[in-house]
Amino acid sequence: MDTARLLPLVVAVPLLGAAVLVATGRRLPRLVSDIVGCAFAAATAALALLVLFRAGHPGPGTYPVEWVGGWRRVGIVLVGDPLGAGLAALVSLLVVTVLVYSWRYFEEPPRRHTGSFPALILVFQAGMCGFALTGDLFNAFVFFELMGVVAYALTGFRVEEPKPLQGALAFGVVNSLGGYATLLGITLLYARTGELGFAQIGRRLDADGPDGLVLAAFVLVTTGLLVKAAAVPFHFWLPDAHAVAPTPVCMLLSGVMVELGVYGVARVYWTVFSGPGGLSHPDVTRALLVLGVLTTLLGAAMCWRQRHLKRLLAFSTVAHTGLFLIGVAVLTPEGISGTALYVLGHAGVKAALFACVGVLLDRYATVDEHELFARARELPEVGVLFAVGGLALSGLPPFASGLGKAAAEEAAGHTAGWLPALYVLVSAVTGGAVLRAGLRIFAGVGRRPGKEEGGPETTGEEEPETGGRLGRIPVPLLAVPAALLAASLALGVIPAVASAVGRAGALFTDTGGYRRTVLDGHAAAAPAHLPPHWQLTGILLGLLSAALAIALATLAVRRPVHTGAAALFAPVRRLQSGHIGDYVAWLVAGAALLTVLTVPGIR
Amino acid sequence: MSARARLWIFLVGAAGFAVLFAAACIDLPAFGTVPHPYGVRAVRAALSHHTSNVIASVNFDLRAFDTLGEETILFSAVLGTVVLLRQARDEHRKDPEPAVVHPRVRRFALLTLACALLVGLYVIAHGQISPGGGFQGGVVAATALHLLYIAADYRALERVRPLTLYEIGEAAGEAAYVITGLAAVLAGSAFLANVLPFGTLAALSSGGTVPVLNAAVGLEVTSGIVVLLARFLDQAVEIEEPGEDDGGPWDSGDSGGNGDEQRERA
Repeated sequence: MDTARLLPLVVAVPLLGAAVLVATGRRLPRLVSDIVGCAFAAATAALALLVLFRAGHPGPGTYPVEWVGGWRRVGIVLVGDPLGAGLAALVSLLVVTVLVYSWRYFEEPPRRHTGSFPALILVFQAGMCGFALTGDLFNAFVFFELMGVVAYALTGFRVEEPKPLQGALAFGVVNSLGGYATLLGITLLYARTGELGFAQIGRRLDADGPDGLVLAAFVLVTTGLLVKAAAVPFHFWLPDAHAVAPTPVCMLLSGVMVELGVYGVARVYWTVFSGPGGLSHPDVTRALLVLGVLTTLLGAAMCWRQRHLKRLLAFSTVAHTGLFLIGVAVLTPEGISGTALYVLGHAGVKAALFACVGVLLDRYATVDEHELFARARELPEVGVLFAVGGLALSGLPPFASGLGKAAAEEAAGHTAGWLPALYVLVSAVTGGAVLRAGLRIFAGVGRRPGKEEGGPETTGEEEPETGGRLGRIPVPLLAVPAALLAASLALGVIPAVASAVGRAGALFTDTGGYRRTVLDGHAAAAPAHLPPHWQLTGILLGLLSAALAIALATLAVRRPVHTGAAALFAPVRRLQSGHIGDYVAWLVAGAALLTVLTVPGIR
Repeated sequence: MSARARLWIFLVGAAGFAVLFAAACIDLPAFGTVPHPYGVRAVRAALSHHTSNVIASVNFDLRAFDTLGEETILFSAVLGTVVLLRQARDEHRKDPEPAVVHPRVRRFALLTLACALLVGLYVIAHGQISPGGGFQGGVVAATALHLLYIAADYRALERVRPLTLYEIGEAAGEAAYVITGLAAVLAGSAFLANVLPFGTLAALSSGGTVPVLNAAVGLEVTSGIVVLLARFLDQAVEIEEPGEDDGGPWDSGDSGGNGDEQRERA
């Protein structure tokens, strides 16, 4: 079949699977519904990979473009450019691993609703794949909302406790407000241009100069996407949701959903606003760079201060999202391809780390670093995986996270010389926080931490998510993190991956080529590009941040906690208050900040 | 953060937002002047497929893929509600009290029920030729059933509302939409392409796949809303929190299920 014809099927197949599971879920035993869920997810992954391989073929060529329903220019277009198709494949593969991981993980699912968890995950997969593949702004909003609705339900999945519902509620309120901002921006663009497709809106905007309406549309659309991406000051929902969501859901939220927000910002900018009728490059760079730097610094600082392992990993996701935003902000093909590779590597590593935390939560009913001190000595395999994950997170070569970091920091270095230092620092701090926790929990290194410090927001009393302690750790709970880390390693060392990602970045930033391919059906030849590759500086900086991470971790476990530093961070920590009103106030203020940063763009 | 600080942050942000939005509104095209470029194309496209309700054509033909997403949002919202409002381990279920209803109220409600149900089905069936369609008609039909709660009591409503059937109906509506799209692919066309004969303009059978997709959405919305309301009503009428033990416990509630088994047995 024509590759383009496959694009809508990447969305349709998981939806069909969800419908089958809901219809038959009452009668099927759990094992069967899990197998059905895995089968539909795997079929979708196969479709997405097929699209990716056909679209990502090197050499001159086009990528598949499909007008759903056959309505050229009037309907909705799906675009399988290598970056979008690659994200759909990443999402699908991660969904398969998450379903395999949850196989033995949950206690008995809701009775007579055995299919509900895999069904929700399949709809989540459809929403994320649709968001990655669509070439239509309103359609992207529909999938944005779909991702949200499923994610709220999955976050609150454990209804026996109040905390998951509170986390899900904050997540729901903040993300919905972001969604309304995006919708308002879309209506402005539609009123001006009468179009909803990225390529069509962009062409129409370029007919006139930029004005207040274009600026407002950019700010509003981007606000919603940045809420999903958890950029400061829109990030507050993320740690609250991650702390309470079931571990397999965290793997998807942190691994791919948040990154799709960054992808959305980049996609909308490059297809709609990058022409003469959009916003000027320096203004957009400034706006995204400021938010990215704030996000990454705050994320790293908060990550270091956490004892609750899930919150620790959640803040590390915030920190890395900041780095991804910086990679996008430099507005070069190299920045995009480096960041894309970074996202690939990060997804595997972060999901693997969450998977390890899930094992701890099952065995010890807590994810508190201090309470777990030395208790997990009996789990050396998990400890090794956790440590490798921490090192990969800090950008150790030759993991894909390391290569992506090296390529992104080099691209960022061309914009501002101090940015590579920021990449090294943030990777070292987040990786160091993970290693510190690993040293304490799995090796019992250093002094037993005291009980005095740490408010309720940093400690980690949690209910186990499995039904009673599992006797022996089931194979999937160990195999999944190992496979994810191996995949992250493989992506970093296979040169074909890097060259494909380089080509994807070049096609992604080729605005004219995108519009011609979508609207005129001309083949877009990949512009000249240099794929991300290992360079001496990159390797050295990667080794440096890994060494710094190890040094920070050993220092932290050997020396007692400074109360001075804790007091210094207290105001920052108090911002994460759990009060939805605070989060909404910050969201509105963030939209205003984004406006101020982009305002010269209309001159 | 104190309430004062929160208010200030919000006010500063809102002021900035207001300036931005005012600037955008000034640059909007003037009201009712130029024919809208999309409107012109959409009307032409709708008429070419013999669909007299252009909005239905946009929803179920031109942008049918959006509607698939929107239908799925409702589908997953209902699924999420079923999961979140399931009977927790420490809750138990009590039998709803029979209610005495004035005969006049009962007669009126039953009459309205029949009319409302008919209107709902009519609105679903005529979506392609007159305002309405699966979403609107589905909500009307689903709420019509709940007039039974007013006409009789909750137990009567439960009898006409076998939830299993409605959950299957909801999934079937979702699946039918996807399968209609896939059928077009098997017929050698694009996903969700309008491959059926278009019929005569303004006839009930006009519009090709538009009435089919409308019916799928109608089935999904009717069943989905029934399941959704059932979950909320169960919480309000039947499920009790651990402390609030005034009636005789019907079920110790340690199953972690929805209590449907007991209901079906009853």
